[in-house]
Amino acid sequence: MAEPQLTVRDLTVRFPTTRGVVQALNGVNIELEKGQMLGIVGESGSGKSVTAKTLMNLLPRSAEVEGEVIFEGNDVRKLAAEGREHFWGVEMTMVFQDPMTSLNPVKKCGEQIAETLRYHLGRSKKEALEEAVDLLGQVGLPDPAKRVDQYPHELSGGLRQRVVIAMALACQPSLLIADEPTTAVDVTVQRNLLNLLDRLREERGMSMILITHDLGVARGRCDDVAVMYAGRIVERSDTETLFSDSRHPYTDALLRSIPRIEQPSHTRLEPIPGRPPELINPPEQCAYAPRCRFAQADCLEAIPESQGVKGMHEFACFHPANTDRGREALAANVAAGETAAGLPITGYAGGAA
Amino acid sequence: MSEQNQAIDLDVAAVVGLEDTPDDAVKKTLGWGFWLCVAWLGGLVVVALLAPVLPIADPTEVGNGPRGEGPSWAHWFGTDKAGRDVFARAVWGARVSIAVGAFAIAFGMLVGGTLGMLGGFLRGWVDQVISFVFFTVLSFPALVLAILIVTSFERSLQTVSLTIGILSVAPVGRLARAQTLVYAEREFVHAARVVGAKNGRILVKELLPNVLIPMGALGLLGIGIAIVAEGGLAFLGLSVFGEDAGSLSWGKLINESRSVRDLKNIPHVAFSIIGVMFLTILSLNFAGDRVREYTDVRETAF
Amino acid sequence: MAGTGRAPLRDDPNVLVTVTDLEVEFPVGKGAVVHAVSGISFDVAEGETLGIVGESGCGKSTVAKSIIRLNSIKSGSVDYQGHDLAQLEGEALRKIRPDLQMIFQDPISSLNPRRKIRDVISEGLAVWGDEQGSWSQDRIEELMLAVGIDPKFGDRRPHQFSGGQCQRIGIARALALDPKVMICDEPVSALDVSVQAQVLNLLEDMKQRYGLTLLFISHDLSVVKNVSDRIIVMYLGKACEIGNADELYENPRHPYTRALLASIPEPAPTVDPSDGDIEGELPSPINPPAGCRFNTRCRHATDICYREEPVMQQVGDQDHYFACHHPVEVAVGL
Repeated sequence: MAEPQLTVRDLTVRFPTTRGVVQALNGVNIELEKGQMLGIVGESGSGKSVTAKTLMNLLPRSAEVEGEVIFEGNDVRKLAAEGREHFWGVEMTMVFQDPMTSLNPVKKCGEQIAETLRYHLGRSKKEALEEAVDLLGQVGLPDPAKRVDQYPHELSGGLRQRVVIAMALACQPSLLIADEPTTAVDVTVQRNLLNLLDRLREERGMSMILITHDLGVARGRCDDVAVMYAGRIVERSDTETLFSDSRHPYTDALLRSIPRIEQPSHTRLEPIPGRPPELINPPEQCAYAPRCRFAQADCLEAIPESQGVKGMHEFACFHPANTDRGREALAANVAAGETAAGLPITGYAGGAA
Repeated sequence: MSEQNQAIDLDVAAVVGLEDTPDDAVKKTLGWGFWLCVAWLGGLVVVALLAPVLPIADPTEVGNGPRGEGPSWAHWFGTDKAGRDVFARAVWGARVSIAVGAFAIAFGMLVGGTLGMLGGFLRGWVDQVISFVFFTVLSFPALVLAILIVTSFERSLQTVSLTIGILSVAPVGRLARAQTLVYAEREFVHAARVVGAKNGRILVKELLPNVLIPMGALGLLGIGIAIVAEGGLAFLGLSVFGEDAGSLSWGKLINESRSVRDLKNIPHVAFSIIGVMFLTILSLNFAGDRVREYTDVRETAF
Repeated sequence: MAGTGRAPLRDDPNVLVTVTDLEVEFPVGKGAVVHAVSGISFDVAEGETLGIVGESGCGKSTVAKSIIRLNSIKSGSVDYQGHDLAQLEGEALRKIRPDLQMIFQDPISSLNPRRKIRDVISEGLAVWGDEQGSWSQDRIEELMLAVGIDPKFGDRRPHQFSGGQCQRIGIARALALDPKVMICDEPVSALDVSVQAQVLNLLEDMKQRYGLTLLFISHDLSVVKNVSDRIIVMYLGKACEIGNADELYENPRHPYTRALLASIPEPAPTVDPSDGDIEGELPSPINPPAGCRFNTRCRHATDICYREEPVMQQVGDQDHYFACHHPVEVAVGL
């Protein structure tokens, strides 16, 4: 097998704050093949956006970063240290959740795209503007020749995001990182934007990392999905396996907790108790253990290593769901009435285990 | 998702929250710098209040010491060209300066703050009238207005305080209005209306704490500005009229000793007063800033 | 789908709130107005959960805020137990407020950052305490326990709680006055996925426990279906389709309902993927299209859709109404 296009090894990021050191990332490993679409799913504070920012060299100076990021043979962190230009924005680009953070409100859309082209690729002003029109057409903006002369505020949210995508694609990147690109837009617009990203990725053979909190989006669009929790990737697999045969109790619980459109109305949901953990001074235990109904004594003593089939289906859990070990753990907790972390389990309907 | 797991239901309503504790309050401190400022300001106020009973020289007694002498053990700030004790004069001057500063800002906060909050909360024609008044007052040159008031009435402590107080109404009011506008459309104000709170209750319980605390910090800065403003009036010879100790103010004292010849021959007179004033205003600014930071609430849960 | 008409109104003694021909407009300067809600009629029966779903700008939040009179109403009526809420003003309106409470979208912004949560929750009781007899701390503790907040944290301030906890505090505040109707405006859209289910289940439990009637506004079709008995689909200030939740998702008739169901990341099995292919942008609510308001984006649109506004009609004798000249007759994929 060829070298993956992107390899992230043991990436750790800490932020010193007045309240203590925030452990934003704890040994994140990612491998991405060329042309692949990887989904990173997680809640706020899970570290999904920090991962993206680390790759894009956008972390604040105070951040303490460890680990390795190799992109097409280049050590990305070394490039950052050398102050390399024309890498971010050319080879690797990013689309943010709110298009207004990427667009300058007082500049015309066309100019902004043209500027990217002139800065990175040294195009002349005229060439750049012509290319900008072409790019806006490619991202499906109706009447692109007119749109280049419009300001961002004259466009709807969906069209603005298309302008941002056009800007990101201007220099033919080989990796596009999209951080919640459709969170701020309506479902019909979301569908069109995701279709657009799919199409562009295929046409250009580009790889993509799609960061989202929406399991449905990841399921519908990604080849592989990584689930993050408290600064770690807790499960990673091809999309089909992850959603049909999940191993990590968090993934499992997340899938149960969201309402599904095919369920009849008033179907009782199965919520995850508690709330995401603090990232300041986390204890040496599985971060999910306090909320996990599989939790055993060993979960409170050590942080589980990643296991499973490397590169295929990996998960960091001692008592994985949908396995005999998990079922035993659950049965033991049900019998005891609570988990090892003290989470009460009641309402046991019987018939299991 | 196997059916084995399906059969188990967590009684989440029973466990959620109870073992799910909120964050501890973030311990913030004001820092030693703040307390140093408070010590200076507190000391100043005490000394000013007690001036008549303190064992200091009579500030108006000509020839209390030798003329135009520099600081010494007997005369801490030296003496002026008439041989009066500059330290005693600074202490008595503090009485007027601080009184004017404190009263003016209290007046500005009370009148301007109330008007600004009413305008920002009620909107409509009330807001238009109030904003127009603020706008007009701000457009009128403050100095001309001050001269107009002070020359039309007796140049007493009350008149001077009130003049500066009136001048502070519009800027304070505009700040209060802006701050009210920020909060008036917040959902918690809607929520109070929905439970049936009347306008007065919403203003006092929901808006006032959010407006007053940041405004209070600004008030400290404002006292500094008012003290300087009084100095400005005194410079023009328009502050409290009279020759007795009760009419002394820092501005007046600097004004007396600001001629080129005085600054050259007896610089300690002007500069010791300027030094006291500088430290006072610095303390007010610093303390105000610290209070503002201290009372800031973190509004994001994550 | 610019549906008008009172067909969906039921002749049922259990109906608690009846909204008839509600119109809301907001001036935006220079004489222009945003037609936020343009003639919508529906009712809510006691103990029922009515979901209102639609994309941003469809007017769903405006409908909610109009019922609770946080908006002014241009015309139409909102009947609640013989009172027309649209006409009430001043003290009469205030007197009726405890019956209709609201849960807001942003859990942080809906709590006063400078007040203790005990005071936030008891605000309604403090307002009405003088007039309806005194209230006790026990009542506050009971409410806090009901929503899963430990009463010992009553002296803390909102910023010390997570988003999900803040939303539960907001629910306790609304429950304090024993309301009949609870309006939930996107109550879970600002919450983390793992916390949403907690709040949704809590709302269901509180509905049972306190006999509430819910009006649930959301842009999330799955969430709305989960909580609702009946659902209204709105587009650009009008209702497209109203009906029983399961029936509506099973046999969506309106092209826009179908477009929504086909656009979500995991589309409903009852629609064809091509139903999601709607083109163009949402027209401006300042100058909405004549005829059916969906005509600019609908692939079924013909002449009549530009001329005549469709009227709500019933599907057989079912609890299912739609406003469309060319309803989709055959459910795909069944």
